[in-house]
Amino acid sequence: MYSAQITRANPTCIVLLLDQSGSMSDPFSGDASNKKSDFVAEVVNHTLHDLVIRCTKTEEVRNYYYISIIGYGRSVGPAFSGPLSSRGMVPISEVADFPLQVKNSYKRVSDGAGSWVEIPVRFPVWIHPTAEGKTPMCEALSLVKSTLETWLAAHPRGFPPTVLHLTDGESSDGDPDYVGRQIMSLKTDDGNVLLFNCHISAQHRQKIEYPGEDISLPDGFARTLFQISSRLPQSFLAAAAQLGVQALDGSRGFVFNGDPSSIVQFYEIGTSLTGMTPYRWMDDRTETA
Amino acid sequence: MTSPVIITSPQLQVRTFLLPKRAHTAVECEDAIGINELHHRFALADGATEAFDARNWAQRLALNWVQTRTTLSLPGFSEWLAAEGRSLHDSWNELKLPWYSEEKARGGSFAAFVGVELEPAFDGWQWRAIILGDSCLFHCRQHTLLKKLPLTKSADFGSNPVLAASHPSVQATTFEHVVVDGGVMKPGDQLLLLTDGVAAWYLLLDETGDFETRSVFARVLRDEDNAALTQLFESERSTGRLKNDDIAIISLEV
Repeated sequence: MYSAQITRANPTCIVLLLDQSGSMSDPFSGDASNKKSDFVAEVVNHTLHDLVIRCTKTEEVRNYYYISIIGYGRSVGPAFSGPLSSRGMVPISEVADFPLQVKNSYKRVSDGAGSWVEIPVRFPVWIHPTAEGKTPMCEALSLVKSTLETWLAAHPRGFPPTVLHLTDGESSDGDPDYVGRQIMSLKTDDGNVLLFNCHISAQHRQKIEYPGEDISLPDGFARTLFQISSRLPQSFLAAAAQLGVQALDGSRGFVFNGDPSSIVQFYEIGTSLTGMTPYRWMDDRTETA
Repeated sequence: MTSPVIITSPQLQVRTFLLPKRAHTAVECEDAIGINELHHRFALADGATEAFDARNWAQRLALNWVQTRTTLSLPGFSEWLAAEGRSLHDSWNELKLPWYSEEKARGGSFAAFVGVELEPAFDGWQWRAIILGDSCLFHCRQHTLLKKLPLTKSADFGSNPVLAASHPSVQATTFEHVVVDGGVMKPGDQLLLLTDGVAAWYLLLDETGDFETRSVFARVLRDEDNAALTQLFESERSTGRLKNDDIAIISLEV
């Protein structure tokens, strides 16, 4: 299981499910200028950049992945900004060709002879930070479920879809347990859909990353998210190990009270798929020129 | 007065085979083969699927190395590789690329490489090889693998081998992984140069004692029966024993 080769004939899909409720405009603890929604948008843009680069073959982007971004807050629906807005599932080649904008920066790199040189780098943007309204998590998960059912009907044999859900609070429209389990019961010939959840906190609370059991979780909401988080397959565990993250056989794709570094690692591990080396985009961060 | 020693080496049989991944076309194959029969130089390169312009880099390495007289030593190889990397990156400067290609090109290209040079020796051929990455060279004598370079077990093949990089800032960190070795081929011996997928499969046959499949492989390779060889590999891919990867083979047989 979770070993199907990802090819153009047999692609996989990745769903980025984003909490865009009003509380996402709060800053992370200790840094008033660092809003959660800003940081999440930056991580998502870098994740999409990484996925595009992985699929780039010289001047062509091959459709190994299909991408869906679903946001929930004031409304529930596709969350791409710009030319792809309103698109529910987008082949990675179109993600590559239709960013909202491409920012230009410079990066200092070694020239291999003991000196440093500045080289131009490109930072495309696909989503803007959004933070409005309540937290209709159940409605959003239902949209994820119907999106995946359509995808799976057309792609029954590929590497199973991965859903990376990021939230900072409890659902405002009911218990997500039932619909979460329904998503986890969907499958291809290669395994069940992978649903991973990352809860982030603006407070300095003890973070819990990739637990194997729910006994250390602080409340019912945490236990619910744990129960609707898939176990990490071996290739994802290997990616976690490369990032220095403690995850063992049986660990769930689940983070509670995560901080900014948890978010970065959550997306790096969650998009590692068939054992690809995680792309450490944080190493590339520079000031925009 | 003594007579000059005249070395008459047995004839060398050279066979090659190239097969793209299943569901891929020949122009998408990122393995490359270089042959220079005049100077007895032979090379394989396997462009890294995730790298930029991997097919071009692999072809440059395999085709250009056999045409040089670069010594089979680390200093000679590193100097040659640096020049090839500069030439590749210069060729990209002429292209007008979309943002993602520019970003991908920034990391350079990568390929596994194995090159071998033969010299006539008394009753055989002396070989010397230089290897970087997970493309392999096996020295076979009847049913025995005398040398397995650089990997010795099918389980050793991972997804992150150290490869020949085109980017100068990366090259320096890879040279400690270069393997230089040599030996002497006697009549009946075979040198097999294989890219990673088929090399792992060949080692698996050895580990599991599947000499029957190995004999079939040896026979159809010797007969240059490419249709039968393709059929064998398709069958092995279906069983999962052979990874669905590009395949490049050079067989040098005395």
